[in-house]
Parts: sequence; C-alpha cells; structure tokens
Amino acid sequence: MANMSHNNLNAKLVLLGDMGAGKSSLVIRFVKGQFLEFQESTIGAAFFSQTLAVNNATVKFEIWDTAGQERYHSLAPMYYRGAAAAIIVFDITSTDSFERAKKWVQELQKQGNPNMVMALAGNKADLEDKRKVTAEEARIYAEENGLFFMETSAKTAVNVNDMFYEIAKRLPRAQTSQNPAGMVLVDRPAEGSRSSCCA
Amino acid sequence: MTTDSNSSSSESDDQNPNSNIDQSLDAIENQLASISMSSHPPTATSLDEDVVDEENEEEEEEEEVEEEKLVSSVNGSLNEEIVAAQAKVDSIEHEQHIETNCKPGSSSSSFAWRDTTEAEPPLSPSSSGYAGERGSTSGGDDDDIGEVEHDGVLGQWVSGKRHPDEDDASVSWRKRKKHFFILSHSGKPIYSRYGDEHKLAGFSATLQAIISFVENGGDRVKLVRAGKHQVVFLVKGPIYLVCISCTEEPYESLKGQLELLYGQLILILTKSVNRCFEKNPKFDMTSLLGGTDAVFSSLIHSFSWNPATFLHAYSCLPLAYTTRQAVGAILQDVAGSGILFALLMCKHKVISLVGAQKASLHPDDILLLSNFITSSESFRTSESFSPICLPRYNPMAFLYGYVHYFDVDTYLILLTTSSDAFYNLKDSRIRIETVLLKSNVLSEVQRSMLDGGMRIEDLPVDPTSRAGPMYPHLGLPRPATDSSGRIRDAHVGIGGPAGLWHFIYRSIYHDQFVASEFSAPINSSRQQKRLYRAYQRLYSSMHDKGMGPYKTQFRRDENYVLLSWVTQDFELYAAFDPLADKALAIKTCNRVCQWVKNVENEIFLLGASPFSW
Repeated sequence: MANMSHNNLNAKLVLLGDMGAGKSSLVIRFVKGQFLEFQESTIGAAFFSQTLAVNNATVKFEIWDTAGQERYHSLAPMYYRGAAAAIIVFDITSTDSFERAKKWVQELQKQGNPNMVMALAGNKADLEDKRKVTAEEARIYAEENGLFFMETSAKTAVNVNDMFYEIAKRLPRAQTSQNPAGMVLVDRPAEGSRSSCCA
Repeated sequence: MTTDSNSSSSESDDQNPNSNIDQSLDAIENQLASISMSSHPPTATSLDEDVVDEENEEEEEEEEVEEEKLVSSVNGSLNEEIVAAQAKVDSIEHEQHIETNCKPGSSSSSFAWRDTTEAEPPLSPSSSGYAGERGSTSGGDDDDIGEVEHDGVLGQWVSGKRHPDEDDASVSWRKRKKHFFILSHSGKPIYSRYGDEHKLAGFSATLQAIISFVENGGDRVKLVRAGKHQVVFLVKGPIYLVCISCTEEPYESLKGQLELLYGQLILILTKSVNRCFEKNPKFDMTSLLGGTDAVFSSLIHSFSWNPATFLHAYSCLPLAYTTRQAVGAILQDVAGSGILFALLMCKHKVISLVGAQKASLHPDDILLLSNFITSSESFRTSESFSPICLPRYNPMAFLYGYVHYFDVDTYLILLTTSSDAFYNLKDSRIRIETVLLKSNVLSEVQRSMLDGGMRIEDLPVDPTSRAGPMYPHLGLPRPATDSSGRIRDAHVGIGGPAGLWHFIYRSIYHDQFVASEFSAPINSSRQQKRLYRAYQRLYSSMHDKGMGPYKTQFRRDENYVLLSWVTQDFELYAAFDPLADKALAIKTCNRVCQWVKNVENEIFLLGASPFSW
C-alpha cells in the first residue's frame, strides 16, 4: 500500500438491489448532489462517472446504476462483470428488499470478481419510523459475509459520500491506470480484501 | 363474474355451448349495462352536449370519461339478443365478428341519458404522475403524494398510471371511454390502462373466458359490439390484448392499436417471454413489467395525437437538406463499427437515421422505440445502456441500446447486437457529439423546433413558380413566421386558402409523413383529437379491404370537408371548412402536393446513402 504516491485509478462500480431501494437516488446524490422525491424507474442501466481524491490518489468511479426490476436480473452479469466494487442497496423500510439484497450478495460471491469490494447500503435511513430492518441485523449479516455496511439516506445525504469514499479507500491498489476503459482485472491473486469489514 | 371464467373449460361445453357463451357475453353485457345503470338517476336528462364539451375541456385532455351514457337494455331483452347473437356465433366462419347488437331504442326498456352531473371535477384526486418503480411490491406509502395538475394543453400531458385506486367496481372506472387490457391466457391481468391490475383479476378472468370459449370452438373472437361499446380482442400466443372503447373508432384502428401495444410489450421483453408461460401457464407477468406504466400510457396517449400510429410511417423534423446530410454522414461514419442502427431524434421526430447493410428499420419500430425512450424519465438522467427488442426487426432477440440526450429534446440511439459494446458506443457518441456541435446541428434543431413545420397559411399561391428550396425554412422567408405580415389567399375564411384547415401527406416511397401544424380553428386539444379521429376513420375507409382500396374520397359532414387522395407515390388527407367549395378544395390539394414536393428534401429524410435502405 506504500506505492500509491500519485495513482489514477479507474474503478468500475455497480449498484444492485431491489427496485425502489434507492440505487439511482444514491448515485445522483453522489454524482450530482441532488435528490428527487420521485425518482423514475431506471431502464436497463444508467452510466455515471465521478472522481474522488483519496490519500494522494484519485479514483475515477465508473458507476453502473442498474435497474431493479425483475426483467433485468438475467442481464445483471453484463453490468457487474469485471466490477471492482459493488454497492448492494436495500430499503430499511422493506424486509423484501433486504432479502433481495442477500440474494445479490450470494450471486456476486458466486459469479463476481472475487476481489470485489462489496458494500451493503441500508438506504432511506431518514424513515426511522417506518423501519423494518434493524441496523444490527444488517450489520451482522454484512460481517458474516465480508461486506462493509452503512446506513445511508440519499434524501438527507447522510453517509452517501462517506460510503463511496470508503469504497475508494478499500480498492486494491494493484490495479493501476493502465485500464483505459475501466474494465477491471479479474484474474489477480486474491489479497484477502474480502475479509475486511467495518470494525 | 369469476364463476363465469371457468365456463370455457368445463365439461358441459359439448352439450350446451350456447349457455356458456351466453353466460360469458352476459357477464360482459352486465358489466356494460350496469355501467350505465349504476351511476346516475335517470332524471338527469339531456343537457346540451356543447355544455358538457366545454366543461370537459377544462379537464385534462386524456381523461376520457363518457359524456353520453351507454344505451342499454335490461337483462330480459338483453338475453334474448345475446341468444340471437349466439345463433350467429355458431354459424360464423373463421374469424368473423360476433355482434351483440343492442340497438338504441330497439326495446321499450332501453333508455339513454347524458351525464350531466359529473363533467368532472377530477374524478379522483390521486392522478399521480409518479409512475414509481414500486410497482406492485413495495413502498405504497408514497403513491398518493405526486399529485399533478392537469390541464387541457396537449403538451402538458403527464405520463404514468392513472387512477391506480380504481377497479371495475368504481363508477369512475366504468365511465372511462377507452380501456386497454393485457392479460395472460390463464386470465391473469398484465396491464390495465386504468385501475389496479391486481384488483381487476375478476374482470380479466371474464375477458379470458370469452376468448377461450370461442377458441375452444375452433374459432376466434375479434369484436363484440354492445351498444356504443366495442370490445376488440387480439390474441398473441399466451398473451391476450383487449380494448373496450366507446370512441367510435373503426375496428381496424383499434386492432392496430392493440398490435402496437403488443409491440411495445415485445420491445421491453422480447417474444421469448412466451417461454415463461410454457413453463408455468399461471405465470404472473406483472412483475416483469415493473416501472413501465408510463411507457404504455404514453403509447396509448399517442393513439389520440400521433398519426404515425395509424399511418405506419414516421415523421422527420424539418431541417435544411445540407444539415440533415451532415448528420447522416456522421451517423454513417460510426455505423460501420458494430452498430446496427443509429438514430438521432428530436422528441418523436427523426432527424436522421442509418442502418447497417441490409438492416432496415420499420416505422412502427421507430414509433415504439421513441415512445419507450421519451416516456422513460431515466434516460434523461444520464447515458444509458439497455436491452431493447425491435419487434419488427427480430421479436425474439434483444439488441442493446445506448441512449444519450444531447439536450432536453434531442437524443441519440445506437443499437448493437453486442452486450459489451458500451464503451465503443460511448466513444462513437462522443465523436458524433463533436461533429454535431462543430456544425451547429443542435442549434438548428432547436430553431426548427421553434419554427415548427408546414403551416397551411403559408401555402404558396402558385407553388409551381418556384423551383427548389431557396429559403431557409420550408420555402419561406423567415419573417413570414410572423403571421401579421402574411398575404392571404382571396378565399380565406378561418384557416388557410379555400378553407383548408389541416393536411397530412404520406410519402409511400419514403415511409414518412408530414402533417401541417395545427392552426385556427383547430386550436384546442379537443378539436385536434376530433380531427385526428376523423383522419383515422378516413384512413381506415380508404384502406378498407372489403370495399376499397379507393383512390379519392370527398366527404362532407357538420364538422369538416375531408378529402383524401391516394396514389402510388403518396397519400394526402386534408381537412377543410365544412362549407368549403369542392372544386377549390381539390385545387388546393394539388397545391399542397406541389408544395410538399418542392420542400421535400427539407421535410423528409431522403435515403441516399448506400448503407441505408
């Protein structure tokens, strides 16, 4: 980790989760600093990019905001293939969306890049009074599965930038800027990045 | 209702089919009959229709609530009629219409009245423009928040599910003039224009019962008439589409609309969705369509304003020939590299398009594609990459579409067969964008939007005297857009020369059409819609396979003189003042055709390049 003097890193990041969990809202909050009360359904996947400065390095995220609808599930590999990071989003007011999130985690563990940095986002944290999924429950699940967990609110911006920042910090530094199109190496030796999770 | 749904498959079919269809038709008749009987006391009679019209005009354009109630019969006489119709059913040839005629006034117990009381303060306050992705599964709490003010202006139509709180028991639901339903062959609701699909399960089952009963008899039901209502059926494998309408549109038009609705479904899911039904006949498809209400409602809305939906032709944004050529050239340039189709569009109008060798794009696919993209807000947020199926190109397979908006109205679509071509397409887009900016195309597009298309007031007095486009906009000096300085023909009343109000010209060779801008007296969206429907009828009568096709038609009614003229090269549909002189109208049509030919290379995309079709 000492050799990250002035690195430019391209990292493909994918957001997965049930429809209506707030994937697009999180991305738009992160990329544009905006929030729409009525965010329309994403079709297919929307592409964004945003650059973060982390410890003398810049990380350029190439973000795939996928659609949560069932009809797109079979197409998800197209978007998470080669991703360096994934945010699995659920809505803390919906147990269904939490179950769906667990399925995504399983799928990524089976099919995804083994060194992928995975974050679990319990979104809509501002709706405390409608909460159905406790923070504890989600945290335990995340720890068991090697994800790091944050509760976020795209509406109030709580923890949104922090989460992307945290991902940027955890990205393995091995992959440097020779990746022009943001396609990320899949066949690097495992470095145990999955074992790290929030303390 | 639900009990009837089983009738089609029951073992009693053989012995007594009559009673079964009787029940099914009876069920739907009862639905329709109760529509008219349930809502208002019959004391509220005959209010002048104009008043109703005026009141409704305040309303949001698409809120098609019946002003005039369905003429109906009480059940006793109704049954007799259905039995009579049943005799027909037994004898009909393949694919014949079933008509259950409840003629107005044919029985002493028939009655009719107009709806006076409810010309309407918004029927339900929750006409939410929010098409939320919550769909059927989660977060229903927010659904009633996005209240939207509707008004009569066409451009302000708001997409999305309407009145999701309604079901077939709601008075307001029953009064909607035009329903569309998609259901599965097991009777499961897939889509309903109004109301909540899940609550309409019983109604869907009834529709399914009617269809499958007739199918079991080795026949196919296409149309049921019940008073003013037409029930049109379209069967596409395991997917059934039904339109119930009292708009008096011709059967062929309604059927065409169902075909497009099906096409839209295929565009989203491909025809391989049929396999889900092979595996599980009771498969529930609603979840697969989550978040697409806006796509369907916007398509259905276009059935009442976009002539492309019945002409099967597309329209282009008017642009200088050289500008369009420049766009075509750059699209052509990228089309070589793995791109199947490249389209630059402005709203629903084509700026330019090219296809890879031998690949051609059907106008219906253009319509469905642009409807899909413009009605889905998410494409505007950022560049997207999404699976898209073009039903006329290949209904079985997805293409992958890269979509990027250059400004609020102008967007680029690049279609490819390769699912990992995103970065390629993104690079192509950047190249295209650079060229478009350098050659000022985007600002010319904006200007063309402001200038609009052909205006009947501008119809040249002697179009033959002018050869070719010498002027910047559709053969006109720019100041002429200021209407005060316009020289008018000697015969003007309201509208254009010789009482010309509007025209549509379809070039058969180019698969394109041009429609004049609406101007006085066709100002309100209501009048525009009425004219649109008149064109639709005219088109359908010109193409009537039974009696036509015709070459010319001149018809006069209390609203318009309509003139249509079909040749090998073009079709012209024109509307005049109802008092217009016939000879002058014909002469004017000739002038319109000449005018269109003169500005042809500005209003049409002339496919000159070798790659295009």
